[in-house]
Amino acid sequence: MTVWHLDPETIRRYAQGAAPPDVAASAEAHLMKCAACRGAISSHVDARRVESIWQEVADRVDAPRRSRPERMLIRLGVGEATARLVAVTPTLRGPWLLAVAGVLALAAWAAQVDERFLLMFLVVAPLGPLAGVAVAFAGGLDPTREIGLAAPYSGLRLLLIRTAAVLAVTAPIVAAAGLALPGSTWTAAAWLLPTAGLTCAALALTARMTPVVAVGAVATAWVLVTAPAAVAGHLDLAFGMGAQIFWLAVAMGGGLWLAVTRNTVTIKLGRSA
Amino acid sequence: MTTVRVHGATKSFGRTRALDGVDLEAGPGVTGLLGPNGAGKTTLLRMIATVLAPDQGTVTLLGRDPSRPDDRTWIRERLGYLPQDAGFHRGFTVFEFIDYVAILKEMTDRRARHDEVRRVIAVTGLQAVTGKRIRALSGGMRRRVGLAQALLGDPDLLVLDEPTVGLDPEQRLRFREMISHAGEGRTVIMSSHQTEDITALCARIAVIHQGRARFTGTPAELMAQAAGRVWTDTERSPAAITAWRTGDGAYRNVGDPPAGAELIPPTLEDAYLLLMGGSELEVTPS
Repeated sequence: MTVWHLDPETIRRYAQGAAPPDVAASAEAHLMKCAACRGAISSHVDARRVESIWQEVADRVDAPRRSRPERMLIRLGVGEATARLVAVTPTLRGPWLLAVAGVLALAAWAAQVDERFLLMFLVVAPLGPLAGVAVAFAGGLDPTREIGLAAPYSGLRLLLIRTAAVLAVTAPIVAAAGLALPGSTWTAAAWLLPTAGLTCAALALTARMTPVVAVGAVATAWVLVTAPAAVAGHLDLAFGMGAQIFWLAVAMGGGLWLAVTRNTVTIKLGRSA
Repeated sequence: MTTVRVHGATKSFGRTRALDGVDLEAGPGVTGLLGPNGAGKTTLLRMIATVLAPDQGTVTLLGRDPSRPDDRTWIRERLGYLPQDAGFHRGFTVFEFIDYVAILKEMTDRRARHDEVRRVIAVTGLQAVTGKRIRALSGGMRRRVGLAQALLGDPDLLVLDEPTVGLDPEQRLRFREMISHAGEGRTVIMSSHQTEDITALCARIAVIHQGRARFTGTPAELMAQAAGRVWTDTERSPAAITAWRTGDGAYRNVGDPPAGAELIPPTLEDAYLLLMGGSELEVTPS
């Protein structure tokens, strides 16, 4: 049992949060043991301050744990709500990214073995990011999709956030695989503009069909056009300067269309939305 | 006051016609949808939850037209939805999951959002499991988490698809209490196979069958249709659409009673079976 008590001045300053840290720590240790001082301090306590402190404590305890990608995004200046929406994107999970890296590593390895496979790498490269966009909205992989469809969050905004996140993660993987290609010509980067163009085209199509179907349509068209050209060795037809300008125009046109129609077009995030 | 109005709504999935010109009106209070599996209840509820647009017909929710983008967003800001197969990110804790849905509901201020998450957790009695991962919860608790997310933002319109499915009797009673409380001052539309839940909770019901509303009215009105068509006997009556032996050894017969039959008061279940003409029994034999 304690035999001394806090003096009135210390009690007043502690209750107001004005006591120096060493005095506050000592007072807290004493208050834990002394019912008389706890009784004495209660009349000095500002109820609003206690409520505010309690709310802060509760918030710290309950607050969702931030995953590493979330912490990284917040450090980069992304809002905490947006960071959370990005972090739960199914495509950004390890197994999916490993699969994309595996396919591209295989294509890069094949190109090293035989340079004729270089063109096949360029055909395959945009499909990784594109498939990532589709999978980000695949019903089976997003367990909360049905709830999300009935929520007021803008479908276009969610689409763009997740697409940007998928591209930001998958593009470096493709780029890394491109570094393993034989030679150091510009062709190692020739997939970039087609990827941007195909993604924008797919996004523009989401007003008419779901992301999965839209990506499937543009990916099929891409393979049907480029694979025969690649097999025949017509590099310029699929990846030459003219083709690059064409994909730049598609990317800009798709982006412009999304910007112009952002308030009037309904994005079909789900099969039935 | 009518807050939900569905008129002549049709919806097909490929060659399957899920809704075939259904009409429904509902106002504040709890309105129940009854019907066999595949009747179109979930399609109708998804339509009311703005997830699905009708192929034909009109839907008006809270006085607005959900086919217009601005109106749809306005409705969604005032809507809570518990889907039949509500999915969860199972690695999330209860708080994290509800917080994630709150973000989708555009609650951007972190402190206010967390306060709201705590409120719905308290309303649904989940305080003890706030920090638990959802994958560690029982089915009943997960259903409660689903209800909690639907209550975020104190919505004017609450759409609950089979909220009591898979719950044990105690959990069902607890859910009834929560839904009843939720129905005070707001419109709740719920579907259920449990006629006891519908009887206990709903001021109005609609019986959906083959994509159409076969009955709309109060539970008492539906039960009144079965008055004089339920009787007990010592044996199964050939005149009965359905009959079963009860605990006291007598047979409860439902159908057109023979002269002199010992009539008993019908339940909502009797009336539902009569309305369906026994077709419900063909799909759910017991």
